[in-house]
Amino acid sequence: MTHPRRHLVSILVLAAFASALAWFPAAPALGQERTVKIAGLGAMSGVIRGFGINSKAVFDMTVDELNKAGGIKLADGSKARIVTTFVDERCNAEEGISVVRKLASEDWLVVIGPTCSNVAEPLFGILQQKVGAAGDSGLQFPIFTDTAIKPGLAKISEWAFRNVPHEPTMYNHLFKWLKEKHPDVRTMAGGVESDFAHSNSNAGTMEAAAKAAGLELLGWEKWLLTDTEFSTQVGKWRRSKPDLIAISSHPFTLCGTLREMKRQGVKPKVLVGLTSSATLETMVGCGPEAEGLIIPTGFAPVTPEAKRVAKVVTERYKGNVDIHSAAVFENLQVLKRVIETSGVEAKPGTVAQDRRRIRDGLAKIKEFDGLLGKVKRLDDRESQKPYVFAVAKTSDWAVLHDPR
Amino acid sequence: MTDLALDIVQQILNGFLFGSSYALVGIGFTMIFGVMDKLNLAFGVTALGGAYVALGVFHLSRGPFVLVFLTAVVASGLIGLVVEVTCFRWMPRDYPLAPLMATMGMLFFIDEVVSHATHGRPMAFPAPMGTAMLEVGPWLLRGDLGFMFLVALAVMGLLWLLVYRTRLGLATRAVSQQPVAAQLCGIALRRVNASVFVLTGMIGGVAGALIGSAVGNLSPLLSLPLTVKGLVTAVLGGLGSIPGAIVGGLLLGVVEYQALYFFGIGYRDMITYLMLFAFLVFRPGGLLGQRAGG
Repeated sequence: MTHPRRHLVSILVLAAFASALAWFPAAPALGQERTVKIAGLGAMSGVIRGFGINSKAVFDMTVDELNKAGGIKLADGSKARIVTTFVDERCNAEEGISVVRKLASEDWLVVIGPTCSNVAEPLFGILQQKVGAAGDSGLQFPIFTDTAIKPGLAKISEWAFRNVPHEPTMYNHLFKWLKEKHPDVRTMAGGVESDFAHSNSNAGTMEAAAKAAGLELLGWEKWLLTDTEFSTQVGKWRRSKPDLIAISSHPFTLCGTLREMKRQGVKPKVLVGLTSSATLETMVGCGPEAEGLIIPTGFAPVTPEAKRVAKVVTERYKGNVDIHSAAVFENLQVLKRVIETSGVEAKPGTVAQDRRRIRDGLAKIKEFDGLLGKVKRLDDRESQKPYVFAVAKTSDWAVLHDPR
Repeated sequence: MTDLALDIVQQILNGFLFGSSYALVGIGFTMIFGVMDKLNLAFGVTALGGAYVALGVFHLSRGPFVLVFLTAVVASGLIGLVVEVTCFRWMPRDYPLAPLMATMGMLFFIDEVVSHATHGRPMAFPAPMGTAMLEVGPWLLRGDLGFMFLVALAVMGLLWLLVYRTRLGLATRAVSQQPVAAQLCGIALRRVNASVFVLTGMIGGVAGALIGSAVGNLSPLLSLPLTVKGLVTAVLGGLGSIPGAIVGGLLLGVVEYQALYFFGIGYRDMITYLMLFAFLVFRPGGLLGQRAGG
């Protein structure tokens, strides 16, 4: 019995030695592992934390998938793993600027974010306005926005890029389509959450689109983001009996308004909502009351890839893919393409050059595959995204019309 | 009757009904101030916190609204006790600003806890009255607000009995008038303070559950308006006066609705705070406060 045991011990020692030898040459390779550093920026605290949570869920999911698929190919042919961080801008301009300055002082190559337009606008203002402009000491740091939706913000700096839906295009089309489908709709009344930048600016978009479609505007009722009672505003709609009511507000006050409409028996022929309310939040908050609400949206699970991404993010990353967070998936795919084709080296000494390469690469892209189809890139670094008209149906969103 | 007259009456009715929620929150602020001579800025979020706990119980049990309501009351009472211990009992007495700042910290702390637990998303709250409306002639009265008004009246009645017909009420009044003398008479100051926080917390729970069911949603967005409106109510009525809080809440509701109807949302809060300013200048003790004129 002693001989076999001695043999066994010898074999084990040899095996251990062999595996150590096999591992040893790999050790330097681990030390030299190449990384590409991409930062996420979103509202992760405060009352609109939900937007940041969803963006981060999609961000984490996409990065995990890209890394599992081998990472990103660099200029020298080696593969780099994506390393990330996701920082909180709290929907506060000072906070957003502060965290981006910090990221820029480190070796992060590009930022995806922020959530809020009131952060994006001043944030883009601290970037260099024109690439290579002498005397412009603004940050030379590419930012690729997924959520902040206020129209026209990318114009502020040539380092700012956005992949957000173009609301005027969507609403112009929606109102024109509605007028064709419902020729008896002649008058419109609006409701707006007047103390929130996006809903307030979108009310103007809705109004212009409705007028262009030939509707007569009866007026706007206003409320605030934190209001909970809408009987006065809805009471005015009850009296004016508009054919169409357009509500430019986020889910919390949208639900309160819809509930009050039900109480007072206000039933317009057509009900239109704000892009940011085409979310699960609205269905959870007031699905039955929202029945029939129509919203144009840049995301719906209508393609195989969109369905897959929505499922994975919900089940494994505890977030929701919606009109805003869907862009994070697209932005990361675009960044992979740009990094692989623009000569990014991802070395400690090439951070500034790599940022410039990414910026220039993003500026050159004229089209890419989005979750709903081809996304066109405009000269002002904005996107023109495919969209659908969604309708609330039995406490869920369904596609009412697909103009793609 | 003209449309304008009908609308004015409708706004008065709406203001009265919605003002009862302000009154409930205002009572909490005013009672604590009456007893301890200190402001508890965490009272509004105490009410909201209790409502969130009740919502959690509802999701786990799918129980009836009575269970949700009672859970909110008990949970808010307990949160009230935590606020008393952390923000008042442990605070140094030589720094009157300390408890005020501590309650402000507690307001944002509980708010962030709620925000993190719910991802900041609004959550549907059970609404047993649904969207029921009562038609009174040409006017519409919201069923849930009417229910809230009645419950608020009942709570105020019970509170009156408690304050004027029980030993705890007697002790509370004694502490609010002469804390040192009350202590010398053998009244346990800490126990009275804790009881007041639990009691006002429970009233907050009533308010939180009723407001949640009237709004139909709970959201962290509610905590700051509840705090501000509760404080304004307490000041209008007279800090320390329970009947004052009731009158102040109803007045605030009526003024807000009339301002909204005649001048729009942009002026509603402006008019409300102008009224507050006028009260502070010309009648700093509020409508029924005992310290009118300082």
